[in-house]
Amino acid sequence: MVDLAIVGAGPAGMSAALTASRRGLSVLVVDEQQRPGGQIFRQPPAAWAAPVRTPVGYRWGRPMIEECEESAAISWRLGHTALGVTAAPDRAGSMTLLMRGPDGVDGVPVKRLLIATGAMDLPVAFPGWTLPGVYTAGGIQTMVKAQGLLPARTMVLAGAHPLLILVAELLLEKQAHIAEVVLAQRSLRPSSLLSHLGAVPGHLGVLMHGGSAFGRLLRSRTPIRRGAIVTAARGDGRVEEVDVADVGPDWQPLGPTRAISADGLVIGYGFQPSTELARQVGCRLQWNSPKGGWVVSHDDHFATSVPGVYVAGEPAGVGGAEQSRAEGHLAALNIVADLGAGSPPSRGDLARARADHRRASRFAAMVQEAFEPNRQALLALAKPSTPVCRCEGIERHTVEQVIEATPFLTRANALKLECRTGMGPCQGRYCELTASGLLAAARESTMEDVGHFTGQFPVRPVSVSDIATARIR
Amino acid sequence: MPHSSRLPCPRGSQLTIVVDGSPVIAYGGETVATALLVHGVAAFHRAPDSSPRLPFCNMGTCLECQVSVEDQPLQRACLIPVRAGMRVNTVED
Repeated sequence: MVDLAIVGAGPAGMSAALTASRRGLSVLVVDEQQRPGGQIFRQPPAAWAAPVRTPVGYRWGRPMIEECEESAAISWRLGHTALGVTAAPDRAGSMTLLMRGPDGVDGVPVKRLLIATGAMDLPVAFPGWTLPGVYTAGGIQTMVKAQGLLPARTMVLAGAHPLLILVAELLLEKQAHIAEVVLAQRSLRPSSLLSHLGAVPGHLGVLMHGGSAFGRLLRSRTPIRRGAIVTAARGDGRVEEVDVADVGPDWQPLGPTRAISADGLVIGYGFQPSTELARQVGCRLQWNSPKGGWVVSHDDHFATSVPGVYVAGEPAGVGGAEQSRAEGHLAALNIVADLGAGSPPSRGDLARARADHRRASRFAAMVQEAFEPNRQALLALAKPSTPVCRCEGIERHTVEQVIEATPFLTRANALKLECRTGMGPCQGRYCELTASGLLAAARESTMEDVGHFTGQFPVRPVSVSDIATARIR
Repeated sequence: MPHSSRLPCPRGSQLTIVVDGSPVIAYGGETVATALLVHGVAAFHRAPDSSPRLPFCNMGTCLECQVSVEDQPLQRACLIPVRAGMRVNTVED
């Protein structure tokens, strides 16, 4: 029996693993990648023998990754996918976590589970978003950083999140050709990033990096269009042209579009928490738009509504690496205290961890407020024939016909069963927001009223034979 | 000219995988997705409306990079490191 299983080896998962193992718990960490770090700290493969590099502003990142990679006290299940928890945790909180690795599926009994599953790029359905050559901002960043791969010759970067600026800088450093950076905000300037500096001590590095990256982008003469939005990607089997329209302050297109030639389109409107494991386990979620959408509810100890299950980092509300690191540490201290095993934290330890978390959260709240996506405007980008559900190819007009023809249908889950959006292999991660947004708009109700898709076991596709031959300890 | 290319950086040793029956060069540590993109594969799989799909998220969530690996369907190419002789098939739905 493992004391603590952690799903996700990003900043939250790594800091929780180090804290819990230093205090004497047996810790197992599951992550789909081959190395710890999470998406923000994705590294090239170990065999490429490149030194560990982390973004400017996160000085703790590199030592944390190195300590994790050297730690013999932590049981690593890298290259493994957490599939879910088989039975509801019992009163003592014990449960069995199932995971799939290169050698099949196995189940590990655990006393406590920490969900540190991170976030994914916010899905936005617009005409052509399924075309080859359209990538998420996080996707292209990891292709370049962790694989040395440039997946297009000429790119348009479009969205509303500061990550796009860092991606643009990364692409320029690699001498990629950026046709244009298209930002929905009309007044996004380095000064808007830098003006909050006084309010956020401790985050100078991150903000300076963002600000100076913007400065370098301007000096590079890369065309930057503020107050504009990509309305469509077009091409025969691949992105060939990207349509851009100027928008008003509400991000609504104002006039005719202009076409830009490109074979790559990078989309970055923000992030949403990855909560499918939390859903499968049965944790209560709440809707919080600035924090990324559906977030996992938790108490001061980062305990979720399910006994024995904790949450840290982006699934508890998207707040960036600094906040995730602080939450992982604080959650782990609480888990140690809760288990009554290992060396429990003193009041001083907990007070310091809470103060550290408060500092990180102030910065996160500023970013959340400044860069909350305009969900109404993004929903309006999907045209009647735009696929809402990428996997099943369910188009917007089909979803709306079902909504119109079924007046008693008020919940996102019912909509999923009725029109099959969300029934494909991505399990609804990419269509949920659009489908439930359309339903909420039609019923003049809220996202809370419409609710979220439930999470089903397994949370990632796995073959029946793998499940049948699972080794449960 | 291909859409995708390798940036100059240290890589693992050269090896060969088999994509839809043909040999394809790759380097140790690369994912199946990287090898296929640089090779110029135009569709990793096709959606029910037969539209071609390529990797989108590169982090295991979108399933657009699904291929079959050693006859196992629904494998995410962006997560799987290449191995010499690995058999990969793109998927026609």
